[in-house]
Amino acid sequence: MSTDRFTFMFKSVHLRFLIDRLARALITVGGLATIVSILGIFFFLFREVTPLFTQPSAKLTQRLSVPALLLDEGPAQVAVDEHREIAQVFTSGAIQFFDLASGQPIPLDMPAQVKSRQITAMASGGGNAPRLAAGTADGEVLLLKVGIMTEFTDQGERKKRPHIRAGQPIPLTKSPIVRLAYRVNDQGSLLAILSKDGRLLVVRIAADDAGGSHPIITELPQPRGTVTALALDALLENLYVGTAEGQVVHVALSETESPEMRAAYAVAAPSTAVTMLGFLSGDRSLVVMSEDGAVSTWGLVRRADAPSGWTLTQMHALRSHNGPVTAFAPSQRVKGFVTGDIQGNLFLHHATSSQTLLRLAVSEFPIRAVAFAPKGDGLIALDGAGQLSLYQVQNAHPEVTLQTLFGKVWYEGYDQPAHVWQSSSGSDDVEPKLGLLPLAFGTLKGTMYALFLAVPIAILAAMCTSQFMHQDLRAKIKPVIEVMAALPTVVLGFLAGLWLAPLLERMLPAVAGMALVLPLLVVLASFAWHLCPLSVKRHLSQGQEALLLIPILGLGIAGCLWANASIEGWWFDGNVKAWLSNRLGIEYDQRNALIVGIVMGFAIVPVIYSIAEEALSNVPKTQIAGSLALGATRWQTVLHLVLLSASPGIFSAVMIGFGRAIGETMIVLMATGNTPILDWNWANGFRTLSANIAVEIPEAPHGGSLYRVLFLAALLLFIVTFVINSLAELVRQRLRDKYSHG
Amino acid sequence: MVERSKVMKNFWRGGELFVWMSASGVAFSLLMVAGMLALIMINGLGQFWPGALQETTLKTQETVIGQVVGEEVIPNSVTPDSPAGQRRFRYRVGNRDVFGAEYRWINAADIVSNARPEDLTVVERREWGPAFGRISVGVEGAAAGSASGSSWTTVKNLVERANQLRRRIEHLEREEIGSINYRIEKARLARHALTLSGQLSPGDTEKAGILLDQIAVLERDYLAKTEALERLHKEAGQEVLFLTLSTGRSVRLSLDQVLAVSRPNGMNWFEKLWAYAHNLWLFVSSEPREANTEGGIFPAIFGTVLMVFLMTLAVMPFGVMAAVYLREYATQGSLVRLVRIAVNNLAGVPSIVFGVFGLAFFVYALGGTIDQWLFPEALPNPTFGTGGILWASLTLALLTVPVVIVATEEGLSAVPRDFREGSLGLGATKFETLRHVILPCALPGILTGLILAMARAAGEVAPLMLTGVVKLAPALPLDEYLPFLHLDRKFMHLGFHIYDVGFQSPNVEAAKPMVYMTTLILILVVVSLNWAAVRLRNRLRRRFTASAL
Repeated sequence: MSTDRFTFMFKSVHLRFLIDRLARALITVGGLATIVSILGIFFFLFREVTPLFTQPSAKLTQRLSVPALLLDEGPAQVAVDEHREIAQVFTSGAIQFFDLASGQPIPLDMPAQVKSRQITAMASGGGNAPRLAAGTADGEVLLLKVGIMTEFTDQGERKKRPHIRAGQPIPLTKSPIVRLAYRVNDQGSLLAILSKDGRLLVVRIAADDAGGSHPIITELPQPRGTVTALALDALLENLYVGTAEGQVVHVALSETESPEMRAAYAVAAPSTAVTMLGFLSGDRSLVVMSEDGAVSTWGLVRRADAPSGWTLTQMHALRSHNGPVTAFAPSQRVKGFVTGDIQGNLFLHHATSSQTLLRLAVSEFPIRAVAFAPKGDGLIALDGAGQLSLYQVQNAHPEVTLQTLFGKVWYEGYDQPAHVWQSSSGSDDVEPKLGLLPLAFGTLKGTMYALFLAVPIAILAAMCTSQFMHQDLRAKIKPVIEVMAALPTVVLGFLAGLWLAPLLERMLPAVAGMALVLPLLVVLASFAWHLCPLSVKRHLSQGQEALLLIPILGLGIAGCLWANASIEGWWFDGNVKAWLSNRLGIEYDQRNALIVGIVMGFAIVPVIYSIAEEALSNVPKTQIAGSLALGATRWQTVLHLVLLSASPGIFSAVMIGFGRAIGETMIVLMATGNTPILDWNWANGFRTLSANIAVEIPEAPHGGSLYRVLFLAALLLFIVTFVINSLAELVRQRLRDKYSHG
Repeated sequence: MVERSKVMKNFWRGGELFVWMSASGVAFSLLMVAGMLALIMINGLGQFWPGALQETTLKTQETVIGQVVGEEVIPNSVTPDSPAGQRRFRYRVGNRDVFGAEYRWINAADIVSNARPEDLTVVERREWGPAFGRISVGVEGAAAGSASGSSWTTVKNLVERANQLRRRIEHLEREEIGSINYRIEKARLARHALTLSGQLSPGDTEKAGILLDQIAVLERDYLAKTEALERLHKEAGQEVLFLTLSTGRSVRLSLDQVLAVSRPNGMNWFEKLWAYAHNLWLFVSSEPREANTEGGIFPAIFGTVLMVFLMTLAVMPFGVMAAVYLREYATQGSLVRLVRIAVNNLAGVPSIVFGVFGLAFFVYALGGTIDQWLFPEALPNPTFGTGGILWASLTLALLTVPVVIVATEEGLSAVPRDFREGSLGLGATKFETLRHVILPCALPGILTGLILAMARAAGEVAPLMLTGVVKLAPALPLDEYLPFLHLDRKFMHLGFHIYDVGFQSPNVEAAKPMVYMTTLILILVVVSLNWAAVRLRNRLRRRFTASAL
C-alpha cells in the first residue's frame, strides 16, 4: 500500500476538520447550485414567455401647444420620426415641424403652392412613403412629399432634416374638395376625391408621369346616399365609399375598364353615418368607423352566392367609442390601429386578436389627428385645443392572446375563422398566424399512432420475457431490446424518411397483407406446436417460442413483400393509391402519420418494454406459484393475476412512452411533411410542437412574438412531459412500496 | 370430429395461443432491431467495395456503362399474360455533369448484351461525382512528351503526380494563407480594440501604428502567397486526360479535377479488398466535398468527439457533486425525495426544450454579455453571442446531468452501510470517508452514469441544431493557433450530418450510401458506449450483491 493513501491520518486534527468543513460547504453549494440550475430551466423558460401576456401600457412623455397658425377647424395630419425626435403637424393652415427635444418649431421654407392655397382635405399615400395629397378650396389637388430625412455625418452623428416638396396643383373641379383618398404603388398613383357639390372623381397618374401633368380623370356615378368617407387600397383596384346611411359601396377600378359599382354593404346601424374609412397595414382589411363610435374591420371574403364571387364581411368588431370617431391611424408594421374620438379619447386596437388593448384619455377636446411612430413604440395626437401629445407605448406582442393561440381566428384572406399556424412569409404585410392548436394536434396525432403500434408490442414482449421466458434467455434478450432505446433518433428519422417512406409507398399492399398474415401465422404456429408430440416439445425451453417465431415472422414478411404486386392486384384493383383515392377519398402523402407511427413506435417500444417488464417481474413469485399450483394455466395466471397486479406499472410505462413520443423531434421532423393541418388521417403528414420549434426558431428574431410563442411551445412540452413523468413515477413508486412490504 | 374439437378446445383452454402471441412481441422487436442494423450495414459498408462496371448494349444500339445497383419488378407490369412482371435494373451511370442524372433505370427487355471489359475506368472527380468510361487518348499538355499513348501505368502515375500537386496547393491554401489571414484579422481586431476606448494615449497611438505596419507586411506576404498559389493552380490545370463515355463522346478531364482512377473489372479479389480498406479509410479521415455528399466525414467525427468530451468535463463534477449532496449531505426528507423525483423526470423532458433553453440562456443571455465585456472590438459580429461548441456542450451537459445524478446516486446507495460506519468508527471524517471509502466503491456507478450520458449526448441532434452545429464548418474547433481550443467556433456533428445530407442536400440519391455509413458509425459509437455502461452496471450489481451476502 502506498503511504499517501493514509497520510490523512497523520495530519493535524484541526486541518482535517477544516478540510471536512470546506468539503461539506463545497459539495453543498455545488450540489445545490447544480440542482437549482437544472430546475431553473423551467423558470427561465417561463420568464421568456411572460412578456407575451403582459398588458400593454402607454406613458405620456411630452405635451406641447402648437402655434395659433395651426389652430383651425379643418383637416389635420400628424407624424413622428422613428426616434421620436421630430414631430410633424399638417393642418389647413400650414405644415410645421417641431424639435421634440426643445419643443421649438423648426423653421422651414414652405413651397409657394402650399402657402397660397387653403387646404380643405388631405390624405396619405399609404405604406411607409412620405407622400401626401391635399385638396384645396379651389378644387385642385396638390401632391406632396413631406418627411424627415435621417443623415449621418462623417463623424457618425445622426442628423435629421425635415423636407417638403410639392408638385404643381392639378385642377379638377370648381368647388372645394371635401374628402380625399390617395394611394401610391409601383404602377402609379390613384386619387379619389369628393367635391363639395357632390361629384366623385377618380384620378389616375402613371408612375412615369412624375409631375402629374397628364392625370386621367374619371367621374363616378352617384352612389345612393350622401358620401361621407373614401378609402383606396394599394392595389389601386378597390375604392370603398362610405355613406351617411351607414353603407359602404365597393367600386372596382381598373386601368383599362370603366369603374364598376360592385355592391353596397350595410356596415353600420341604419342611418348611422360612416365617419371614417381606413386600411390596416397591407391594405387588405378595411376599418369602418361610424357616427355612433363603432369600430370594426371588414374584408373581402369569397362567397359563392355573391354576384362577383366576393362579399365584404365583418371580421372583427372592436370596442366602441362613446361618440363619433374623428381620427384614425394604422400601425405601419402590425395589424394594429388607433382611433380617436370627439371626447378626446384614444383607443389602441389590434385586429388579429380582436381586442382593444388600451384606452387613453388624451384631452377633453376632440382628437384631430393621430399617428403611430414608425416602430410602433410611440403615438402622437393632436387635439382640438392645439395640444400635441406624445406617448411612449409598450406593446410588443399585441397579436398574441390565449384566444389567438388556441382559438379560431379570422385572418385576412380567410373565408372564416380558422386554426392556422403560418408564422412567416415573404412580406411584412402578411398577418402572422400563430395558432398553436394545429401543432398540438399534430403532436397528439403522432404520439397516438406511435402508441398504437408500440403499446401492444412492448407489453406483449414484456409479458413474454418476464413470465414465460427462462432466466438465461431473458438475460440475453432484455439488453438487446433495451439497447434500442439508445439508438439516436436522427438515425430512425433518416431511415423513416429516406428508406421506409419510399418503400412503403410501393409496398403498401404488402403492409396491408402483413397486418392480416402475421397474426394468422402466429396462431398457426402455436396450433402446430400444440399438435407436436411431447418428444419434440421437450427440446424447447421456456420462452424459446420467441426465437422460433423469428424465422416464421421473417418469412411471412418476406412473403408479403414478394407478393406485393399480387396483393395490389387482388385487393386494390392493381393500383393502391388510386384505390385509396377513389374508394376511401384518401390522398396518400409519401411522408405520413403511418410512417411516423411505425418508426416512432419503434423508438418507444424499448421505453415501454423496460418499465412494463420491471413491473411485471416484480409481482411476487409466491403468488404466481400459488396460482399455478391451484391449476391455472400459464396464461390464466398471467391474465388474471400478474397483469392485474402490475397494471399500475404498465400504465406508468405507457405514460412514460407517451411522454417520450410527445417530445420526439428528429423523427417527426424527417418523416412527416411538417404541414400544420388538422386531420386525423393516417395517410397525410402533420407538424408537431417540437419539430416546429426546430424548424422555426433559427429564423425567429430574438425577443419577437414568434420567438416567444416558440418558447411557449417549449414550455408546454416541458410541463406536459414533466407532469406525465411525475405521475408515472408516483405510480411506480407506490407499486414498488407495495411489493417491497408485501 | 369429436377428436378434433377436443384438440381445439384443449388448445384454446391451454392458453398456448396467447403465450405465442406474447412471444411474437419479442420476436417482432428482435426482428426490427436486427433488420435495421442489417439494412444500415449492407447499405453503408457495401458502398466502398469497388463494384464491377458493366457495359450494356441496348436494342436502340445505345451503350450504357455503369454499376448495377438494384433491380425490381416494374410497378404495374404484372398482367395476366406475364404474372412475374417485367424486370428492370438500376444503373449508376455517373457523369452527372453530362447525363444530368446519376442513376438510370434500364428495362431487362431492352438489353441486347452485357460485358465487363477490363479497360472500363472509374474516375473519381472533385466535382460532379464519378465518371465512367475509357481513358482513350492518354495525355496532353506538359507531360505529353513522356507519355506513350494511353498506357494504364502512365495514367496512374499522372494522377498520382496531380494528387501530390493538389496536396501542395491545399497546404498553401489552408496552412500558409490561412495563417496569414488569421494574423491579419487578429491585428485588425487589436487595432480596433485600441480605438474603441475613444481617447488614444500616445502609447496606444504607437501601438496602433505598429499594428498597421504589421498588417501591411502581412498583406504583402498574402499577395506573394496567392501568386504562388495561382502558379500552382495553373500548373495543375495544364495536364489533361481524355475520357470516352458510353455515348462515344470524349470528355476532357483536367487533372486537377481527378482524385483517383481505377479499373474495378481488372482487379483481383485481393486488390479489391485493398481498395475497399483504402476507401473506408479515406471516408473516416478526409473532409467532405460537394456540399457534404462526397468525400469523408472527418470533421463531423472530430466535432462529435470533442463536443462529447467537453460535455463530459462539464457534467462530471457537477453531476457527482449534486448526487453526493443529495445522498450523503442533505437531510433525507420529503423535500429531498421530491427533488429526486424532479431531477429524475428531467431526464424525460424533450431534448428540444433543452435546446431552446440553451439558445436563450447560453447563446443570447450569457454569450451576448460575454461579447460586450470581452470582445467589444468584434461587435456587431458575435463571438460567443452565437451558437458554438461550448454552448452546445453545456446544453447537452444540462440534458445529461440527470442521468449522471441518478446513476451516481444508485452507485452511492449500493455502498453497504457497514463500510461507512466502519470508516467513521475508525475516526475518519465524513469527507475522508467519502473520498477514500464511498467514492471508490461507487466509482463503477459514476462511470456508468458518465458513459450513459456520453452515449445520449453523442446521439442527440435537436438541441445542437439551435446551439451551434453547422453543415459545413470552415475550421475545426481545435487547431495550432492560440488558444488552440476555440470554444466559440461552430462545429460539425455526425447526427446533424445525417440530417443535413439526407434531407437538405441537392443530390440525396447519390449521397444516400454516405449517409448510411455515417449512420453506421454513429450507431457503433452510441451502442458500444451503451453496452459498456450496461456491462459495468451489471458488474457493479453483482459485486455488491455478493458483498452484501
